[in-house]
Amino acid sequence: MACFQRASPTVKEILLNLLSAKRPREIDHQFYEFGSVEYRIQVFSSDPDHVLLSITTLLKSQGVSQADSLPYHALHGLYFDMVEVVQPPKDGYQLTLKIDITKMPQRKDDCIKVVTKISSVQAVLLSSQLKEMLWHLFSLDNFRIMFKPIKLVYHQREPFYIIRQPYKITVIFPMRFQDNSDVVIATTLFQELRYVAYSGSCTKAPPCSWSPIPPAELKGESFKDLSTNGGFVSFDIFSRHIEDSKLDKTVWNLLNFYAFVKSHVKCTRGFIQRRMHKRMESLSEVLQKAGISRNELLDKKAPRNICLTKTKKFSMSIILKPRCGFFSRNIKIAHS
Amino acid sequence: MCLQNFPCQEVERHNKPEVELKTSPELLLNPVLICRNEAEKCLIETSINSLRISIKVKQADELENILTKKFLRFLSMRAEAFQVLRRKPVQGYDISFLITNYHCEDMQKNKLIDFIVQFMEDIDKEISELKMSVNTRGRLVATEFLKQFI
Repeated sequence: MACFQRASPTVKEILLNLLSAKRPREIDHQFYEFGSVEYRIQVFSSDPDHVLLSITTLLKSQGVSQADSLPYHALHGLYFDMVEVVQPPKDGYQLTLKIDITKMPQRKDDCIKVVTKISSVQAVLLSSQLKEMLWHLFSLDNFRIMFKPIKLVYHQREPFYIIRQPYKITVIFPMRFQDNSDVVIATTLFQELRYVAYSGSCTKAPPCSWSPIPPAELKGESFKDLSTNGGFVSFDIFSRHIEDSKLDKTVWNLLNFYAFVKSHVKCTRGFIQRRMHKRMESLSEVLQKAGISRNELLDKKAPRNICLTKTKKFSMSIILKPRCGFFSRNIKIAHS
Repeated sequence: MCLQNFPCQEVERHNKPEVELKTSPELLLNPVLICRNEAEKCLIETSINSLRISIKVKQADELENILTKKFLRFLSMRAEAFQVLRRKPVQGYDISFLITNYHCEDMQKNKLIDFIVQFMEDIDKEISELKMSVNTRGRLVATEFLKQFI
């Protein structure tokens, strides 16, 4: 999972290109986005008015089958008359949508709106499971019961856990990074998250904590899942965080947490690099100023120059006089 | 910094920095170690034709350690911009400078010394500024992230 935008930029671009094309054409695009969502967009020459959009995610969660996790009700409500869900979906995909492009609005702005909404199908798919899970866990009658952690895998390298606890749900993210410097930058963010969560401005946000060792709630999980280099970040979700419109925000923020951290690490690295470049330039300028200029170099060799100028001051007649004296005297004698 | 041209005594037609080769002990002076504490020190090694200055920069925590390493590695990789910077620091130090008699001929000695002093001051300043900036960025990002929940 790694996208702040709900709409897939690639799907949006392909659909808009299709709509703006003057002639209907046959296409078959298959691509992956963020390493976890696979798309296939097809238009057949036999049926140029319909676009088939197939999608599959890496949704692997304990106790939830893929078929159950598909939010058909959400899809029916979300996409207008021009989109219909194909049953059964194409081989290897979780969902196939048939888009009737003849029913698209004529106005460009409306058309972009609709395409954006259709392109956000992955967001609907990804967030629906977590939404239902949070609803289900909070709707349970017995608040005092503590459940086993549920492992959610939206991306192979980025699993996270949901644990039902008395009066709250704890979401735990094990953080792994490839580089040591990334770990340090991310750790500063986690410490700030912990601090800010309890400060005045964000008291209504879910309390956050960070620990370098696995929290007690994850006791019993496999060693492989608990071995991290960035520690564990936990968010405590209370019932107030899943009320009405807040549920959507909460779910989307939790799904994007890994992407958010990665983006912060990447931007901070870029920022450090820019600062270093700037400082290097200012330092090298100091050294350039230390260089001796041409004039200074001539001044340094001044004694030799003075000697040369002195010799230059003698006129040719003075130099030649002693040398030619003998010959001139002889000529004078011969003439006399 | 009274460096002079001095050919190698061992190999004919060779002229190498004696502070690096250390072939003849009579050409070397006693090194000077200026130490504020174990983590902050400066070693000055002198010879007849060259001078080596090695600096160990203060690294109070993990973030400072990473920033110092990153910054000094960045500078070492661009050593050609600083004629006197050594690509690889002396063991036990973070960065080293090698000044030869040729550098003293091409540059003004007082300005060369000013550069070394400014470099030492700037490194400390830059690291602490970078650390503050990273923490400030972290706080802003954390606030923005948590505000999205509200």
